[in-house]
Amino acid sequence: MFSLAVARLPYCGEMVTPAEPHVVQHAELKRSITAKQLYFYVVGDVLGSGIYVLVGLVAAAVGGAFWMAFLVGVSIATITGLAYAELVTKYPQAAGASLYINKAFRSPVLTFFITICMLSANMAAVGSLAAGFVRYFSGLVGLPADAVWATTIIALVFVALITTINLIGITESVVANVVMTFIEVSGLIIIVLIGVIALVEGVNDPAVLLQFNAEGGAGSSVLAVLAGVSLAFFAMTGFENAANVAEETIEPSRAFPRALIGGMLTAGVVYVLVSISAALAVPIGDLAGKTLLEVIRADIFFVPATVMLVVFGLIAMIAISNTTLVTVVAQSRILFGMARENVVPALFAKIHPTRRSPYVALLFGAAIVCALLVIGATIRSSQAELPAEQQLDIVDRLATITVVFLLFIYALVIVACLKLRGTDETVDTYRANTPLLIIGILGNLTVLAYTLIDDPAALLWVAGLLTVGLVLYLVQNFFGKKPRSPGAEGSPGAVTLPPASKEL
Amino acid sequence: MHVIVATDGSQASLVGARQFKWIADSREITDVTIVAVVSPYAAVPFANELGPQRNPGITELNFRQEANAAVEIVAAEFDGWGAEIHRQVRSGSPAQEIIRAAEDLDADLISMASGSRGLSRTILLGSTASRVQHSAPCPVLVCRPTPHSQRALG
Repeated sequence: MFSLAVARLPYCGEMVTPAEPHVVQHAELKRSITAKQLYFYVVGDVLGSGIYVLVGLVAAAVGGAFWMAFLVGVSIATITGLAYAELVTKYPQAAGASLYINKAFRSPVLTFFITICMLSANMAAVGSLAAGFVRYFSGLVGLPADAVWATTIIALVFVALITTINLIGITESVVANVVMTFIEVSGLIIIVLIGVIALVEGVNDPAVLLQFNAEGGAGSSVLAVLAGVSLAFFAMTGFENAANVAEETIEPSRAFPRALIGGMLTAGVVYVLVSISAALAVPIGDLAGKTLLEVIRADIFFVPATVMLVVFGLIAMIAISNTTLVTVVAQSRILFGMARENVVPALFAKIHPTRRSPYVALLFGAAIVCALLVIGATIRSSQAELPAEQQLDIVDRLATITVVFLLFIYALVIVACLKLRGTDETVDTYRANTPLLIIGILGNLTVLAYTLIDDPAALLWVAGLLTVGLVLYLVQNFFGKKPRSPGAEGSPGAVTLPPASKEL
Repeated sequence: MHVIVATDGSQASLVGARQFKWIADSREITDVTIVAVVSPYAAVPFANELGPQRNPGITELNFRQEANAAVEIVAAEFDGWGAEIHRQVRSGSPAQEIIRAAEDLDADLISMASGSRGLSRTILLGSTASRVQHSAPCPVLVCRPTPHSQRALG
C-alpha cells in the first residue's frame, strides 16, 4: 500500500522544512489538469467573452466584411498565444504575464505596472461583460436599451451574483467547465446553421461579405478592418487565464502548446464562421450595435423565432456568465497574490475561513466594477440630448479599455519571450516561430496605436484604473508592514506550535 | 490502521488535527497521511494560514509550496506520536480528492475539520466536509471547533 509513496520520493526536493528522520519525506503533487480539460478551459473562456457581446459593434465598425476583423484579431491573438505557450513551458507557474515580464526585465516597477494593468484589464472586462449580459437580458424581457439606470441596476445585480458565486467558491468543478463550454459552442453552432440556411435560401447576397463601411479606396477598407479589430480583439482575450492553471497541468510542455493554440484556433474558426453567418442572415444595418439575437429574430431556422429567442438568449447569458466567472477569479487571484507579496495591503489576502475564497479581494473587485458601471451610466444619462451614435456605449468603452491594457501586455509578453530565448530552456521547451512573434509584436502595437488614436477618451478611464492600483500601492508603502525577509519570524496571527499534548 | 488527516491550510484544520490526536489511540494507528488539495480553478487554489507566513517575492507566490508548507505544519503535530507519517498534496476538487486519497491508500478513517463557528459559517456550510462524509469509502471524523479548542489555539 505504500509503494506509491516510495515511488514518488524524487519529489521530496520540494520539501519546505526538514522533517524528522522517521518521517517519510515526500509531499507529492498529483497534477490534475489534462490537455483536453485545458483545451475546453481555453475554448470556454475565449468564446464567451467577445462574440456574444461585441458582434454588433464590430459589424457597425467594418460593414459586411466584419469577419475579416475577427480573422485578423484571432491571428494576432493566436501569435501571442504562441509566446504564452513557449513561456508557460519554461515557467509553469500561475503568475502569467507578470512572471514573464519579471523574468525578462528584472524590474520590480515594470512588473508591478504590468500586474496592475492586468488587474485593470480584468476589471474593465467584467464591466463590459456585465453590460453585454444586460443587452441579452433586456432583449429577452423587452426592456428598452435607453433605460440607462434600469439596465445599470441589472448589470450591478449581475456583478453581485457573479461575486457571490465566487465567494461561495463553486467554480472549481472541472465538469461544470466542460458543460459550460459545450453550451457556449452550441449557441454559436445555431448561428452557423442559420448562416448555412441563409446562404442556401439566398437571403443576403454573398457579396455583402466583401462590403466595407468606408468610402474610398483600399486604404479606408484597411482602416475599417482595423477599427473592427480593435473591438474584435476583446473576443480573443481570456486565453491568458490558461497560464493560471499551468502549475496543475499534466506534462505542461506537451499539453500547453496544443491546448492553447488548438483552443484559440477553434475559437477563431467559430468566430469567423459566426460573423460570416450573421452577415449572410441579416442586413448589416439591423445587426449594427445589436446582439446576435438579431440573427435569431430573422426567423430562418426550423424552430420558430419566438422559441429560439429564449433558448439563444439563455445560452448567450450562460456563456457570458461563464467567462465573467473566470475573469473575476483571475482578478481576485491577482489582488490576492499582490497582497501576499506585500505590494498592496495585506487585507486583500484575507481568506474566508470556511469557503477558502479571497473575500476582500472579490468584494473590492466587484466594487470597482460597479463604480465603472455607475460612472458609465452617469455619463450616459447626462448625454441624453446627444444623438444616439455620440452617446457613450458602456460595453464598447469598457471593452476598448480592456483591449488597450491587454494589447500592451501582450506585446510586452512577446518581447519577454524573445528576450528569454536561450535561458531556462530544456529539451521539452516549446519554441515559437520567431518571425511570427515579430509580426505579433507589430500587430499588437498597430492595433493598440489605432485604438488610442480612434478613442483617446479611453485613456482617461485607463488612467483612472491605474490610479486605483497606485493608491493601493501607496497605502501599503505608507501604512503597511515592511516586507519581512523570507524565513523571518511569523506574523502575530500565526500559530506557534505547542508541544503535542492531550490538553485540547 | 491508516488515517487520512486533511488540511486546507486553515487554523480550523490544525485544531481538527489536534482534536483527532486527542480522540484517537496512537497504539492503533500505524500510518497517518496528511493530505492537502490544491484546486486549480479556484480563485485561490490553496491558502496556507498556518505557521510563520512566508513572504514570497514579487511573482513568486506558489500555491503548491503553500500546500506543502501547510502539510508540513500539520505533520509536525504528529512528531513522536508513533505512527508513520506520509504527506500528500493533490490537485483537483477538494472533496473528490480527499475521497480518492482514501481509496488509493485504502484508508480506515478520514479526519477533517468543518469550518468554524459563527452565523455566516453556519449558513455557508463547510461543503467539503459534507461531501466527503457523503461518499467516503471509510468512516469520517469531522472535527468541530469548540470554544475550548479555539482558546487552546491562542
